[in-house]
Amino acid sequence: MASDRITLTVPARGEYARTVRMTAAELASRIGMSFDEVDDVRMGAEEAFVYASERVGESANVTFTFTVSADALEVEVGPMPTPDEGAAAVSEGYAEFILRSVCDEFEIQHAPEGCTLCLCRRAAAPAGEPGA
Amino acid sequence: MWDKARTRELFVHYHEHGDEESRDELITMYLNLVKYLASRFRNRGEPIDDLIQVGTIGLIKAIDRFDIGREVEFTTYATPTIVGELKRYFRDKGWAIKVPRRLQELSFRVNQAVDALTQREQRSPSILEIAEYLEVTTEDVLEALETSEAYNFVSLETDRTSEGSDSFSILEYIGEDDQLMALVDDRTMLSEGLKHLAPLEQRVLYLRFFQGLTQTEIAAMLGISQMQVSRLLRRTLRLLREHITLEEV
Repeated sequence: MASDRITLTVPARGEYARTVRMTAAELASRIGMSFDEVDDVRMGAEEAFVYASERVGESANVTFTFTVSADALEVEVGPMPTPDEGAAAVSEGYAEFILRSVCDEFEIQHAPEGCTLCLCRRAAAPAGEPGA
Repeated sequence: MWDKARTRELFVHYHEHGDEESRDELITMYLNLVKYLASRFRNRGEPIDDLIQVGTIGLIKAIDRFDIGREVEFTTYATPTIVGELKRYFRDKGWAIKVPRRLQELSFRVNQAVDALTQREQRSPSILEIAEYLEVTTEDVLEALETSEAYNFVSLETDRTSEGSDSFSILEYIGEDDQLMALVDDRTMLSEGLKHLAPLEQRVLYLRFFQGLTQTEIAAMLGISQMQVSRLLRRTLRLLREHITLEEV
């Protein structure tokens, strides 16, 4: 199947974490991810949201771009301001560590307009309906 | 009812030597106080076990903050902290209570279905499989997953009974694990945060993020449900995040 692209922009406030989690979980379940994997995706989406919210500040928005293909969910979060050296090092290291654990691929892309988190989680095996 | 001399001894061990076992013994010792205080809130429609868990969080806070230099009985000091935690729980519950009963029940059934299907298929089921098993829609299952967020209080009782005197401490693995070393190196608040996690929380965190086990594998290993693992992880990550945020302020 060709990949579909879904964009979600939410205010950078905690109350929207649920919206982000639900969207990510629904897209993950759409491609047949297991309960385990869906929960990882939710966790990853929330961590990425918190990470981005801290960078952009409460009055701004955070944009998620989901790319859904047959066996993978890619998520781009941002752009957001590139953090200062040092000041953000701790939460940086922490968030990266968590995101690396729940995703198959994780990187931070730097561009002039800011940095973007790129996450990818693949569905391990088509559960239930092989080849669906 | 409570042995004052022993209490004092345990606090010295815990606060001055960081002895986690003394802390655990204190928690066990004063659990009666929690039960008593929790029972005073029992007519408000919440299961008493949940209230005891909430109260225990208050007790742990009190244990961590108590200063034995002060001429105050620990029970006198701890009571307002425990009651405060219970009151906060009811206050925070404001929104959670609005979760329709149908969803609360569904959340419970999803929990059971995940365990049953994992057992049967020997792998983590898909959302669709859970939905078909329960004869509900996939949206219902996802909604139920969110609902379980409202019940953040994983049984601390499980923590104590499942492993007996589990004294697992993630920090003991620092020397063996480069990843962990890189993470806590020079980041004292994070290691401080890790210390505040219960042994079961530390174990789940370690297995998931350092050993790379899946939630299903961890649940099987520890003899708890997968949703409990999920909630424990979530709670753990939130606690750690709070510590990090504090540091950056």
